[in-house]
Amino acid sequence: MTTIHQFVPSYTTRSWAGVHSGNVADVLHGMGIESKIFVGEARGVRRSDVHPFRDFAHEPERTDQWLLYQLSTGSLIADALTTRSEPVIVNYHNVTPGSLWAAWEPFVVPEMAEGRHQMHRLAGRTVLGISDSSYNNAELIAAGYPRGEVCPILADYDDLGSHGDSATESRLRATKGGADWMFVGRVAPNKCQHQIVKAFAFYRKVYDPGARLWLAGGSASHAYLRAIENLVAALGLDDAVTILGSASQDIVTAHHRVADVVVCLSDHEGFCIPLVEAMWHGIPIVAYASSAVPETVGDAGLLLQDKSAAVVAAAVHRVVTDGALRMSLVEAGTKRLSELSLDRTRARFAELIEMAIGAGR
Amino acid sequence: MTMSIDTRKIVAEIEEEVRRKRATGELPADFERELDSVFARYAPVGALDLHFDQLLEKIDASTLDTIAPLESSRPLVPQLKLVVRKAIGWYVRYIANQLSATMAGLSRALRLLGNRVDVLEANAPRLAADAALVNVAGDLSVWYDLVVAETKSVTGRVLHAECGTGGVVAHLVEAGIDAYGVDPDDDVVLEAGARSIDVRATDVTDHLRVLDPGSLGAIILSGCVDRLGLGAQVALADLASVKLAVGGRLLVLGTDPSAWGRAQSTVAADLAPGRPLHPETWVALLERRGFGDTSVHDGPAGEQLNPVPAKSAGAAAMNANIAMLNRTLFRPSAYAVVATRTH
Repeated sequence: MTTIHQFVPSYTTRSWAGVHSGNVADVLHGMGIESKIFVGEARGVRRSDVHPFRDFAHEPERTDQWLLYQLSTGSLIADALTTRSEPVIVNYHNVTPGSLWAAWEPFVVPEMAEGRHQMHRLAGRTVLGISDSSYNNAELIAAGYPRGEVCPILADYDDLGSHGDSATESRLRATKGGADWMFVGRVAPNKCQHQIVKAFAFYRKVYDPGARLWLAGGSASHAYLRAIENLVAALGLDDAVTILGSASQDIVTAHHRVADVVVCLSDHEGFCIPLVEAMWHGIPIVAYASSAVPETVGDAGLLLQDKSAAVVAAAVHRVVTDGALRMSLVEAGTKRLSELSLDRTRARFAELIEMAIGAGR
Repeated sequence: MTMSIDTRKIVAEIEEEVRRKRATGELPADFERELDSVFARYAPVGALDLHFDQLLEKIDASTLDTIAPLESSRPLVPQLKLVVRKAIGWYVRYIANQLSATMAGLSRALRLLGNRVDVLEANAPRLAADAALVNVAGDLSVWYDLVVAETKSVTGRVLHAECGTGGVVAHLVEAGIDAYGVDPDDDVVLEAGARSIDVRATDVTDHLRVLDPGSLGAIILSGCVDRLGLGAQVALADLASVKLAVGGRLLVLGTDPSAWGRAQSTVAADLAPGRPLHPETWVALLERRGFGDTSVHDGPAGEQLNPVPAKSAGAAAMNANIAMLNRTLFRPSAYAVVATRTH
């Protein structure tokens, strides 16, 4: 029986890595392939769902065994896998360039740099690279991977967005006084939440003094989070900007249900699940056209080349006030969403696994 | 089912609207700058492109935070962190006090060093009082068509430095291009302001330093590129390579070295701290900084030596020499170098 084990450096149930790896495991089991998830570190999961990598490290090599590595950061797991002779499949989610973090969290930069080095080192050991986006795939090909294919992240957006906290939703609706902006993502320098706050301040001043902004997502950088909190306070936006932190999915969904626009000004995204969540909720998107954002968004949003506060604010104003445009973006989002549905991505992933195994035989 | 809308066209309309409203003052340009400066107060030094004095202000204002955050998504971890924080608080404060004293000392030393550099700069020609006489701006109207053609398709704002009373800026804005200017001379800035042209009173180098990387669609440099010293000219090329977006254009509107002192007053030429560079030198500097697609455009021919009548004795030989002198000494007095930031 063929075995394909997954290796995930950092696994939590609610993170994209947890959601994606769990769905990949379902695909593999559905194909009759034996599969376990080995993790470097795990939080909030049942012991039976995942296994510590040290349990695998000393297992003997097998000719019918494949190694599927979820690459998104630097990890000792990658180096350990390169010492084994089994064929490797790299599922690449991109690694944030350290330069975007250097000023804020210099101690994290070496881990990111190592992730990129490992991505290059794995090229010679990998039979197939599977990327979330064409943007990521281009990096694999440039790094010398023999074959690269694209399969978006396996996520059940119906599951992510179907349950909302009704009390929160009622409160938000009752207090609505203008357009509600939203962004979901870790508070991290590459996500550029500070630029969202600046654009929002400009929007309140020029277009809509009753607007609100909700930033959801746990903190990946305390220094950056504190700078944003200080920025919000200094601009007198304490009552208008809510930093939700790592709120529960129900709370986030409640905010989604009331939001008028999702604004994403990230400098670097390998895919960006929150933009797809916005489509699921029928929210139009205004985004900076960086990295993989344009291909994730498609026609479901306005893609800006210039993210100066005035341009972002004007774009949001247009989306909020132009009903025809809004409807067109929402419809495009629904169409794009169908391309990213779990049924389709599962089928695509299974097809790629078949392809890899066929090529390796 | 609604009709599909061309989102690219909508974005172009939005950018055009912002351009127009910035030009007419409907959008508060000062507020955008204020937002940047407010965030700069809270961002670490490395996240900002600050000049010397701003950097020292940041260092002076910075404090060592000894109260480590407690938040965690894991149960009981905040309480555990609190215990650890209390237990080692005396030690952390001990180290932090010494670090603070060291930082204060370093900051003081840097200020003293800065003062000494200020004295050196004050005695250097660039900051000498007589240098105020230096006004090398020529007639830039000959370049109007070129600057419009080269900047009309860029994404992002167009900066003209030093722009004088804003003739080029006004021409660009009339052509529908989102342009503004900077000039260190307060008088010409006031004159431009009276004509509702967006010109700011600041030095070009200082202005470029505070902009975000990749934030400009095009930069037009004139005046400063003639009179600045070589180090400052190279620094301008460095800054332009960082502040332009990929695909952005740099236009250097310079004076030909052979015309220096002829196209401007000799007093201005003598007192200037630097001299104009040849266009080939700009091309070389820019290509080493990631610019490509470079081209050099000659300005109109100026006054030249006249040939002697052909019937005169030895006219052919004399006219050949005159032609050589014209080529060597009386080349077009101005040139434009155009380059594109390719990566």
